[in-house]
Amino acid sequence: MIRRYLGLLALLAVGRLLIRLAGLAVIAALAVAAAPVSLVAAYAATMAWLAGWPPRRLYRAALWCLPMVVVWLAATAVTTRSWRQVAAAPYLAWLAMWHGAAAGSVALAALTIAPAAIPLGLAAGGLAWAWRGYAMRTGTGGLSPGSAVSFDRRQWRHQARSARARIAAPGAVPLLSRGGDIVPGAVIRTVGHRASPAAAIPYRRLRSHQVVIGTTGTGKTTLLLRLWAGFCARGLQLYAAGAGHRPLLVVLDCKGGADSRRVADRARRVLRDAGARSTAVWPDEAALSLWALPPRQLITTLVDMIEHGTGGAAYYADVMEAVVALAVDAPAGPPASAADFLARLDPGWLAAVYAGDSADAALLRSASRHIADIALRFRTLFRRLGEGLDGPGGFGDADVWYCILEGTSEISVAETQARALVDLLASYAADGRGSQREILLAVDEFSAVSRRLPVWELYERARSLGLALQVSAQSWQGLATRDDDRYRIAATADGGIWLLRTPHPDAAAGLAGTRPVIDTSRRVRGVPRWSHEGSSRIRQAPVVDPAIIRSLDVGQAAYIYRGGVTYVQIKRLVAAPAAVAGQPVPGQPVTVTGAAAAGHASTPRPEPAAPPDAGQFLDEAFGAGPH
Amino acid sequence: MTPGQAAPATPGMPTNVAERDIAGLLFVAEMYGVQLDQLAALLGVTEPRARGVTASWQRARYAESARLGPGPPWVWLSRAGLAACGLRSPATAPALSRLAHLRAVAAVRLALEATPGYRGAGAFWRSERRLRARMGGRVGLREHVPDGEVHWPDGAPVAWAGECWAVEAELTRKTVARTAAIMREILTRTGDYGCPAAQAREPGRPPRHDRVLYLCSPAARPTVARAREMAGALGARVETRDLPPGAALPGLPGAGLPGAGQSRAGQSRAGAPS
Repeated sequence: MIRRYLGLLALLAVGRLLIRLAGLAVIAALAVAAAPVSLVAAYAATMAWLAGWPPRRLYRAALWCLPMVVVWLAATAVTTRSWRQVAAAPYLAWLAMWHGAAAGSVALAALTIAPAAIPLGLAAGGLAWAWRGYAMRTGTGGLSPGSAVSFDRRQWRHQARSARARIAAPGAVPLLSRGGDIVPGAVIRTVGHRASPAAAIPYRRLRSHQVVIGTTGTGKTTLLLRLWAGFCARGLQLYAAGAGHRPLLVVLDCKGGADSRRVADRARRVLRDAGARSTAVWPDEAALSLWALPPRQLITTLVDMIEHGTGGAAYYADVMEAVVALAVDAPAGPPASAADFLARLDPGWLAAVYAGDSADAALLRSASRHIADIALRFRTLFRRLGEGLDGPGGFGDADVWYCILEGTSEISVAETQARALVDLLASYAADGRGSQREILLAVDEFSAVSRRLPVWELYERARSLGLALQVSAQSWQGLATRDDDRYRIAATADGGIWLLRTPHPDAAAGLAGTRPVIDTSRRVRGVPRWSHEGSSRIRQAPVVDPAIIRSLDVGQAAYIYRGGVTYVQIKRLVAAPAAVAGQPVPGQPVTVTGAAAAGHASTPRPEPAAPPDAGQFLDEAFGAGPH
Repeated sequence: MTPGQAAPATPGMPTNVAERDIAGLLFVAEMYGVQLDQLAALLGVTEPRARGVTASWQRARYAESARLGPGPPWVWLSRAGLAACGLRSPATAPALSRLAHLRAVAAVRLALEATPGYRGAGAFWRSERRLRARMGGRVGLREHVPDGEVHWPDGAPVAWAGECWAVEAELTRKTVARTAAIMREILTRTGDYGCPAAQAREPGRPPRHDRVLYLCSPAARPTVARAREMAGALGARVETRDLPPGAALPGLPGAGLPGAGQSRAGQSRAGAPS
């Protein structure tokens, strides 16, 4: 009995094996019979695996072959003048291919079957590749459940390699697409976004708020420069076409130091290539005039620039505000410079100015004993601030303002400067001239200088004034000082969030939400064997895998937008080389301006001949001989 | 003290504006503001008469006047006055911190325009205010703007016909490095003020200013001399002279200027074209 049972089992096993072998034989026969299609499909699937292409790319390639098929069928129709022949053309080509191959004309055979075999092979390869990807994603493919993880890691490497090759190809990743979208780089992978070889960000998203998070050395500056250049280039295109206002980019670099100055120089050269006519580097080479603020705003800003205590110091703050208001609102008009303002903080001058106004004169009498102290504080403040806010100049004077704040070495000064700069920009945006510009305010590590002006207040002001705000930080914690503010900033970044490698991406990555995925369990048949039997269920998985963010390479970034993510290999913008500086002036920093910024190299120019002698004329005018 | 009053945007044009008034208004408009003694020197009248002229301008709402600092009152143009002179600059009183400098520059211009050589050549003073107005809001980089330019027409009966001079009035002592940097910036500039930044210093093009004329106070003279030496070959195009008499604010202790307080010495002349 036992022997019979064992015989039956063996018979069943042999039967199953035979059925499987028969199936494989049929498939092999079909593959051999359709050898050209099979070869193209295998080649296409292998290429897709190696390059990490999505199946859609193979389908698209198959569609691009359709013109060839149409031409081939049309040629067949013209030569045979028979619709039957046209309908049978693929079969006849297949027969001719085999006959040619049998006769040894392999090249002719391949040429004969190519119009039919290539699109069919590409489509079949796409289907096979899609099936493979689906099986691995759902956990049903591979020898073990861990195969899916290995497959995904391997595919990431392949995709990243393809993206790097794409950005290395000259002209493959332009700054702007044909549709005017800004192209930061090549796509590595997408989840929930449309897959395309090059990442394209519509211009309007740069006119919304964006957040950029990435530690030092991950390519954050490269990404920011690319985005800024795209903003300038597209904005100027629209402006030239009469479809928009002239763009204005204002960068607040709150780190300071030599590194910020290197970035500023690089930004100037990159943005000039993008069409920005002039880049003002503040405060090193350009100045803004605090005194251009409207008098009411000027009073508020000046008072806020001075540190006040609490409690009894509130009285002193009120006295200071009253004195500042008297100095600014003097009948002679608002002050034009720091020296002018300091000159007004004099009891005698104020008394003379307000002699005819009894109310102001009374106010002045009660505050007069504090005026000297107030003048001292402002004199100290202006000395520490330097000339950067004493003009002349305004935001309308340049296409790009790169403002360097020493947030690392001189925090209190940088905080004051940040407050003043934001007030100036807000005033500029609110008045008639600023409303005729499309302004992008990019702030880097603003939380370092946000004690006087909370970053959330900056955000709110930017929104109310119609400014686009781009906040960048080295970490999630660097976005703002409080977690509530961080979430508010990130949650309202309707232009998208850029994540580069950062050790704590979970909070920002979580904003992308989740997506349904198929989770399959597989029965263990013995170590190390898993069967293909089991159960599947739907579960929610994060759209952005924080593990990928933590392992991003230099120049790779994740762009999170509307519940999807696009992983991008950023294309570095190569700026025109800096011009050779002219003969340096002792004691003056060597900077690249004017012709240097225009990309001209300084060439030696012969000095003009000595001018004719005008000594007699000058003696006549000024009475003294030449020194 | 007369508080600055807002003038109506389109006041009626006075019917009795004389040539002297036009010259005076243009001078005041271009120099930001002048003191009454300098205005009297410009118009070739006495100070009381100049006060009367100023009063007529104020009645027409073209000008405002106030005692802003030591010495005679200052006169500056209202918005209507500036508009009549073709300037769209903000109509504000001269800044207190610039009073001394404005007076010095006005004195330099008066001294130049008083010479027969200047008038005979038909030279033209292009003021800092006009230069800044031309720059408008277009240039963002921190550029140094001279206190004025003197343009000598081609064919004028002087050896330097066709030249453009930059004029700098130096009252206070800057650092030598800063002065040398300004000197070099002026002498190497090729483009007009307000031109695109790339043309400001374009290699291969002739310099905009054939020479720069420094009028110095005794305090600033050594600094300018050392800066001129540091400029090397460029220094050959630098002319230095003392500030003319009356360039200092009257009543101020010294500033070390020659003839401080002699506000009208040798400067009276009939209204010169400007």
